[in-house]
Amino acid sequence: MKKIIYIVILFSGLANAQITPEFEIGTKGVFSGNLNINSDEPSAVSDFSDTQLLMGLRQKLYNNWRAQFVLGLQFPDANSKLGEVFYNNIFIRLEDQKNIVKLGRTLAKTNLNQFPTLRDDDAQQFTYALNPFSDGVNTEWDQYANVLEYAHIFKQRFFISMHGENFYNSLKPDDFRLNSIGLSLMYKVPSSQRWNRDVIQEIGLSYNNYFTDRIGYSSDFDASVKNLLFSTTLNLKPDPINFIDFRFQAIQNFGWNEVRALNDYFDYTRTESSTFFGTFRYLKQKLERPNYQISIGGGYKSLPNLEVDSSQLIFIANSFYRIGENFDIGLQYRYTENRGFTEGLFGKNEHRIQLALVYSFNKIFNKQFGDREDLLNLEHNYLR
Amino acid sequence: MDRRNFIATGAVSTAGMLFFPGNLLASEAKIINKQKLVQPLSYKMDGEWKEFELYIDIHIHEPAPGFKYHTLAFNDMIPGPEIRVNAGDKVRVKFVNKTDLNHTIHWHGVYVPWRMDGVPFVTQLPVMPKNEFIYEFIAEPEGTHFYHCHWGTLMHMQAGMFGSLIIEKPNDSIKQRFPYEREYTLVYSSHDTNYIRSEMNGMLERMKQRSYLMKEGRFDPEQFSVFDSKEQLLESIDNGYQPPYVTNRRSNSELPQANWFTVNGKSYPSTPYVFIKSGENIRIRLINAGAETHHLHLHGHDFWMVADDGVPIDNPWKRNTVPLTPGKTFDIIVEGKNRGIWTFHDHDTRKVTNNGLYPGGNLLALVYEDLPADELIISKHSGNPIYNSNAGMGNMKGMDAMGNMNKMMFGEDKLPKIALDE
Repeated sequence: MKKIIYIVILFSGLANAQITPEFEIGTKGVFSGNLNINSDEPSAVSDFSDTQLLMGLRQKLYNNWRAQFVLGLQFPDANSKLGEVFYNNIFIRLEDQKNIVKLGRTLAKTNLNQFPTLRDDDAQQFTYALNPFSDGVNTEWDQYANVLEYAHIFKQRFFISMHGENFYNSLKPDDFRLNSIGLSLMYKVPSSQRWNRDVIQEIGLSYNNYFTDRIGYSSDFDASVKNLLFSTTLNLKPDPINFIDFRFQAIQNFGWNEVRALNDYFDYTRTESSTFFGTFRYLKQKLERPNYQISIGGGYKSLPNLEVDSSQLIFIANSFYRIGENFDIGLQYRYTENRGFTEGLFGKNEHRIQLALVYSFNKIFNKQFGDREDLLNLEHNYLR
Repeated sequence: MDRRNFIATGAVSTAGMLFFPGNLLASEAKIINKQKLVQPLSYKMDGEWKEFELYIDIHIHEPAPGFKYHTLAFNDMIPGPEIRVNAGDKVRVKFVNKTDLNHTIHWHGVYVPWRMDGVPFVTQLPVMPKNEFIYEFIAEPEGTHFYHCHWGTLMHMQAGMFGSLIIEKPNDSIKQRFPYEREYTLVYSSHDTNYIRSEMNGMLERMKQRSYLMKEGRFDPEQFSVFDSKEQLLESIDNGYQPPYVTNRRSNSELPQANWFTVNGKSYPSTPYVFIKSGENIRIRLINAGAETHHLHLHGHDFWMVADDGVPIDNPWKRNTVPLTPGKTFDIIVEGKNRGIWTFHDHDTRKVTNNGLYPGGNLLALVYEDLPADELIISKHSGNPIYNSNAGMGNMKGMDAMGNMNKMMFGEDKLPKIALDE
């Protein structure tokens, strides 16, 4: 009976609904031919992994808040064991001028910077604090989690975020309990003003605490894997036509002392490590639109607590040229090298060359109110 | 103070300074109504010149109670203040641009020297951010005109950059034929507030970059889409340049779809009232500063069409509906011959809406000041026996029992009321 009433109420609500929401659609199509040398992964004629589609429905609430429902899907790597399609974003966001609440599956706060790579996970082991509950079979479980996040914004640029997550646990896939908490502080210049900031575009610090079941420790805190992230983006040449920035992120994993060897991915994410990754990017704009971009970067990870001297190295360079509105052609070269225990896990070294066509698009239809980063909001406090 | 005014004034006082339509016969109603009419712009004399000052800035505007948006406005009001001069006056207008956008002022319908016409890149360079421009002209011809920004006109005009410009003549032929004491200026416009917001954001962002490049001496015709000649443009196209209206640059795929319709910057229920007395003539100057046609219809009257684009009509004719097309001005004379409260509205009812909801928009009323307050009482004059037992079927059994029904159904026993959702 209760179910029938519920359905009637829901139906009645639908029948009376008259507000058409804002409809946001974002998509990225990445299609590359991959040439892998000295790699476990075979070369590929047409790799469309990381292609994704994001849809959002947003409308005003009865107060000054607004709400958005987001549904997104992604095509993961073929060997990811996630199936053909992975639903990477399914969440609700509530926000007003100074507060944001997020609930659902989306990107976790395990990365504070967006680096100019062809795919989001091209430098995964260097750019994300890794999920200690994952067996490492795919990159998505490191990037995405079921999150409950609250962020407060001070003076439109300072973001303080408290968050709790349920990261996918490969050993207990049906466990949806909270297994991580964290706190992050970010200073971000709004995107509309980044081109003319003299030096600091972004700077942030984040702490993540994963509630792992470390044998021999009764306290949750002591049994945890803890990560500290520092990130910054610096404008080396702020200019609307010739723009150069430098992005950097460091991750300190305060791992377990007792992990002295890497037998599997769990050990890899639970041993102590220090990771550094940075990129230089030159962006040429023409007629107020991106024309081409060249970036070069590298990273280093040391794992000092292991019995054998172990480390990882990455070098990555790419260039993208805009061939039409939303379409880019790109070329990327990546070299990775693993020493010590990491060689056993990931192979000695690998060269990868990728030639890609990328389509990216984001648009809001039926627009009804301003955005947080609009100049009218930033300069005239207009978010309606 | 007569009894009618006393009663109505008492009601206004009880409600504080609030003004509701039910009190519109009160003397305070006219005071409050003045705020909804165009505001005169004062001037100072400099020798033979009448000197006015107009500035433009970003302004928070509230067309109807509870709905506000950021827009552009002359002297912090929409419409901008009314410039009223005599034919032949020497007029000097100092224009100050306080925004981060470019602007100009065009004097619509006025015989200004061509370098004062306010068309960017044709008669002048745009008035850059935090810059100013002095416009000088001799006021002619007589009649109802207006001024508006001519930069980014699609957005800037609907954002609110317009105002009336009235040039009077001592021996006005219209006044001689239809003697009147009172006149009203009604400036119509339509606004897509979503378009205004997104386009203003886009313009502000682009202007920041362009201002930066110009200060560094890096003006580039292709970057700015400003060419010295058509030959230069064609040469650029030959070299691979695609103009901004082709696909390689920003483009708004949709043209504005107006969702707010205003008279003097206000939408119903904030629209002004036009007051008249029995036996009185009033002159109404109609200006369309927007991009939509308004088919204006006056209930219960015909009016005289006396001027078209400011030009007096030799043989005026009567109408009760007039299509006020974009850029057009009409002057009409209403004769006070039918006492009451009469709706004056756009008969394209899509424009009598607020954000898609009827009623709203440019709905306003012609109000007879000599209307007895008694006539506003519903139960005395309603043709519906539910409300008025003296109406045709008033002797029907049970009607008395329904005497208070109107109060239950529609509040006070008095007209008019504010209806926001029919």
